[in-house]
Amino acid sequence: MSRPINLFSALLRRFAVLILLAVLTAAGPVVAVAQPSDTVADAVPAAIGIVASQRAKIDTITKQVDDLEKKVDASADDDLGLVEIRSELEPVDKALLESGVAFRPRLGEINARIEQLGAPPAEGQPPEPEMVSTERRALTNEKAEINVLLGKAEDLSVRVNGLANKIQTMRRDLFANMLTKRYQLSQAFSGEVGQEIQTEFSSFNRSISSWLRFAFQFKFQAMVGATFFALLAAALLQFVGKRLVRRVIDRDPTIEDPSYLARLTVAFWSTLLPSVALSVFLSSTIGLFNYFNVLRGDIGSYLNGLVGVIFLTFFVYRLSHAALSPDMPNWRLIPIESRPARVLVWLMTAMALVVGLDYFMGLISETLSSPLSVTILKSLIAAVIVGVLLVLIGSVRPFVDVQGARRRWPATLRFLLYFLGAATVVAALLGYISFAQFISQQIVVTGAMLATAYIGFLAARAVSEEGSFSNTFIGRRLKARFETEDTTLDQLGLAASVCINILIVIVFLPLVLFQWGFQPGDIATWLNKLATGFQIGTFSFSPFAIVTGLVVFAIGYFITRWFQSWLDDSVMARGKVDTGVRNSIRTVVGYAGLALAALIGISAAGINLSSFALVAGGLSLGIGFGLQNIVQNFVSGLILLAERPFKAGDWIVAGATSGTVKKISVRATEIETFQRQTVILPNSELINSAVGNWTHRNKLGRIEIKVGVAYGFDAKRAHEILLEITRNHPLVLKNPEPFVLFANFGAAALEFEVRAFLADINNGSIVQNDIRFAILDAFGKEGIPIPSTARFIEPPPEENWPIDDDKLEAEHYEKEQVKAKAAVERATKRRPKRPDPD
Amino acid sequence: MRLANGNRGGGNTDNAMMKSLLAATVLLGLGSAAFGASAVNKDAEPRTLIVTEGGSKSELSLAGGETVEFCSSGCFVTMPNGDREALTGSETIEISGGVARIK
Repeated sequence: MSRPINLFSALLRRFAVLILLAVLTAAGPVVAVAQPSDTVADAVPAAIGIVASQRAKIDTITKQVDDLEKKVDASADDDLGLVEIRSELEPVDKALLESGVAFRPRLGEINARIEQLGAPPAEGQPPEPEMVSTERRALTNEKAEINVLLGKAEDLSVRVNGLANKIQTMRRDLFANMLTKRYQLSQAFSGEVGQEIQTEFSSFNRSISSWLRFAFQFKFQAMVGATFFALLAAALLQFVGKRLVRRVIDRDPTIEDPSYLARLTVAFWSTLLPSVALSVFLSSTIGLFNYFNVLRGDIGSYLNGLVGVIFLTFFVYRLSHAALSPDMPNWRLIPIESRPARVLVWLMTAMALVVGLDYFMGLISETLSSPLSVTILKSLIAAVIVGVLLVLIGSVRPFVDVQGARRRWPATLRFLLYFLGAATVVAALLGYISFAQFISQQIVVTGAMLATAYIGFLAARAVSEEGSFSNTFIGRRLKARFETEDTTLDQLGLAASVCINILIVIVFLPLVLFQWGFQPGDIATWLNKLATGFQIGTFSFSPFAIVTGLVVFAIGYFITRWFQSWLDDSVMARGKVDTGVRNSIRTVVGYAGLALAALIGISAAGINLSSFALVAGGLSLGIGFGLQNIVQNFVSGLILLAERPFKAGDWIVAGATSGTVKKISVRATEIETFQRQTVILPNSELINSAVGNWTHRNKLGRIEIKVGVAYGFDAKRAHEILLEITRNHPLVLKNPEPFVLFANFGAAALEFEVRAFLADINNGSIVQNDIRFAILDAFGKEGIPIPSTARFIEPPPEENWPIDDDKLEAEHYEKEQVKAKAAVERATKRRPKRPDPD
Repeated sequence: MRLANGNRGGGNTDNAMMKSLLAATVLLGLGSAAFGASAVNKDAEPRTLIVTEGGSKSELSLAGGETVEFCSSGCFVTMPNGDREALTGSETIEISGGVARIK
């Protein structure tokens, strides 16, 4: 007993806190409003306060913008730096606007006060008191000051926006320059390049060894610690990974024919999870080294580059391995031969390694600021190798045809690979080395990401197919534990597929965008725009707000549902409320809640209901005509729910329809006839025309049975028997009494009618049956016949007319012949037999 | 109990219709949704506002009695009488007698 009380008091406390919060938030604006009125009292100091503080703010912002402008000029070649500056500009613009808005209350006060003081007296009029003119002067001065500050903020805002545009243009130019820049290849092949490479190599060596010496001498412990923790993290990841995800990423060699979904899933996860694990390990290693302060600036960037190379190579290796599965032909995604699969895996991995190393060497050259010739030479070599590898991949013969001969890739793919390879090589040889580098990087990195995402999409599609989810590991578990039905599992599969798709987009879209030269700052700016809304033409659009509105609506909807069922099941069912009332209240609460949720959702989405009203007003005539019927039914439905001429479960007769009411909705009412046909009757028909209700207040009803008794028998006796039978039936009410009516002297019989009241008219058929059988039995015993109308009895059919005419004719002819013969014979025979007339 | 169950399960056509109606109204609302500040000129003669938004200055002239939506994400405005104001994008400016007031 104590637990519920505790729970209740806890709830109460929480509720009290909520109310307190609500009161506080409500009081907040009051306090804020009250503040200015305080400042009116001692107007001058407060006013000076706001002008001074905002001036200081605007001055700070001016300085910030000056700094940023200088930075833009300084980092004209640095894409990353430009993006950073731009992301810094956004809040500056916001701050300017904020400090502009901060003047508003004060401006309002000044304007109001000036209005109160009135215009200065015109010439010839008596002069106003000195105090008034002083105050007016002070106010006007202050206003002018504020206007100047606002003008300053405005100019700054223009400058900030101009700067943002400038950065955009600069970045575009940078990218275009990078792609179109042509280097002199002759530089790379001059005699000095060998020596330069040697110099670079030795200086790289020097920097590494000097760092190692430094680390060993001064940071030995830290280094050991960092390495130890990094290895620990690796071991942990390895252990956890082996335990948890092995089932997902390991191919089971015993399965002979794994399903497409299983193959896809394994390929996807066996690429993604180890790569994620590796990236976690690598980044944690770098983080640890940084934490222990082991890295020097240059070494840090080398290590970052190295980590990138390792990750890229590993990822491409895992991906190609997952898709082509050279060791287990059963698990291969593309049906190619084992040997080419192995070759392809190595070719792709090699390509990734070359691209990665090219990037790494570029990093070294940048850090050591090595001569251009070396950079050109190594990029040239890398681009040519990538091009050759592409051509090699294209020339692999992965398929086997029916005769067992090797076949090449499909023509489109093959020529695409050839073209890309050739383009890379040619561009590099012509001197467009940055371009070649860009292409090869895109091919490897973007290609790998897109391939992974594509495998994920395929897996998502395979999951959503009918019956495939129930065959997965999770599906089987659900089935075993919760006995989930197949249709539910299919729906779950669909949901899983949608989730996988969304996940893939969320994970891979930013990665691909980063690859294409977008910076995290860009994406942050987009997200910000998405949150605050952007403008298309004249109207603003904020997806974030719309999503918020939808979420709010969904929450409102579920709260309504919950409240509805709580009210119905806990309150009204316990209170023994009539089913019809319960149903009405339930329906009304449902629709009211839905409307409320929709309204709150719309306002949460930032949609102005007043502009909506404008449109609604304009369209109301059209809607009035177009939806006339629906509105009529809607209103009728509300009337039905309020007036309740019938309720769910009633037996009603409406026009030609007779049946049990199943559900009263706002537009139509569902009636189930006794043939179990569901009739959807528009509510307006139930309101506009007469509706018979057999079970309106009670289920009492009368049945009638007609009986005929043959003339010549004792009518009184028959009446007695009928009354007795009816009275003795257990379901027939004693009050009102059953009654047998001597209805008519009919044409063939004395007509009686048995009338009996039943407590539940729904039992009518049973009672009628019982009574009729009983009457038949009793009349039989008494020998009272029930006359039936004399009926025409159909005679049996005559012999069928034969169908074959020719045969018939022949037969007929034969018969005639026989007859004629017989006649002749008779004639000849008779003649002598004829009695002699004599 | 059976009846209650029946009530809960049925009525798909009705719900679908209500949902489509709801969707239509929401779409209508979206189509008509105009975010931003609005300016109303209650005078008979035209008035001009100078609006600085997104790094560009432009003149916004309002005929007598006209209402204009502008400034979706914050702007600076110079009123007809020379007063300056900063707007966040949700205000309504009312011009009457050549004097603008923010509501």
